[in-house]
Amino acid sequence: MIVVLTVICACSALVLAYANKVTKAPREYQLLKYVEAPSIKAVLTSYDNDPIKDRVVLKMGKDKKGRPLTRNIFLAKKDGKIIGLAYEAAGMGHEGLIHVMVGVNTAGKITGIRITTQSETPGLGSKVVEPSFTKQFKGMALSDSLNLSAKGGKIDAVSGATVSSKGVVAAVRKALELFPKIKKEIG
Amino acid sequence: MPTLTQEFTKGLWKEIPPFRLVLGICATLAVTTSAKNGIGMGVATTFVLVFSNLLISMLRKLIPRNVRIAAFIVIIASFVVLAELYMQAYAYPLYKALGIFVPLIVVNCIILGRAEAFASKNPVLPSLADGLGIGIGFTISLFVVGAIREIIGHGTFFSVPVMWSSFKPFGVMLKPPGAFLCLGLILALMNFISSRQKR
Repeated sequence: MIVVLTVICACSALVLAYANKVTKAPREYQLLKYVEAPSIKAVLTSYDNDPIKDRVVLKMGKDKKGRPLTRNIFLAKKDGKIIGLAYEAAGMGHEGLIHVMVGVNTAGKITGIRITTQSETPGLGSKVVEPSFTKQFKGMALSDSLNLSAKGGKIDAVSGATVSSKGVVAAVRKALELFPKIKKEIG
Repeated sequence: MPTLTQEFTKGLWKEIPPFRLVLGICATLAVTTSAKNGIGMGVATTFVLVFSNLLISMLRKLIPRNVRIAAFIVIIASFVVLAELYMQAYAYPLYKALGIFVPLIVVNCIILGRAEAFASKNPVLPSLADGLGIGIGFTISLFVVGAIREIIGHGTFFSVPVMWSSFKPFGVMLKPPGAFLCLGLILALMNFISSRQKR
């Protein structure tokens, strides 16, 4: 009785482990395709490849427990040449982390940004997702003008949502600070 | 001794689930908001049903009687997880639409019911025919309920508008009460036809 049950359970575990391994890559691909694709499309321009298929996973830094952190970098190519990258970075907003997908061309200039996840106050801080705010980042590079206008930069904060706007700027700056390193890794 | 064809066709009318056996009502009521979801759920259930019937019938002499339910559940759950993994990998929108009801196929009474009442007592071939028949019957039923609810509740059929332009959809059909109404009316209709045939 025990033997039969044990054998059945062991076989089942074996089959499922195998299926899990086989379907891992396509499952990840589908998840990215349906969850991340809209923001990737929005931040990259004039590419002719599938950035999700041509993604590279880079190991960048370690988390608090010392495990390596990985980061998905989505490549935009035209005629086989890399013309831009898209990747996510996060900044602290009013209610929590604001995750921003940032598109950067090879010269290090922003081709577009889009907020992927945020939990800011609805109607106030949540307005940072609107194009009227995010389009201000387009064409900027990591410089002093990439800052809120109150701090001498050229980004106008969403009125009544300074902290949330700051969080987005922090995320974008963080993304651009990583850019030289990522560029070197990808080559 | 019924023939293989009889084992197969009984699932299509005489014992068609969920109308005749009135089993597996949870899935029937929950996911049939559109014809497409109905078919997706039906196909996933058929896959699990056929393979669990096959395996259980093969192992029926090896599994001790006192632990048979536990063994059946492990076998069924394995196939459900397989179906879930492959659905996630190759049919993500469907996987999202069916949500929690994919893992819940494990506790679908039809599957355990067929395993206990049929596959554990019959040889491989009849069990296969039984699983296939019941599975296809279940798929047809879900498709019919899904199509009716989608047409009346949303005015579309496979996401294509089929009703006249001034048609106002009955939103209630997409909600749980609509599912009960639809199922009840189909049951009544089927009983009516059967009683007519008997006379």
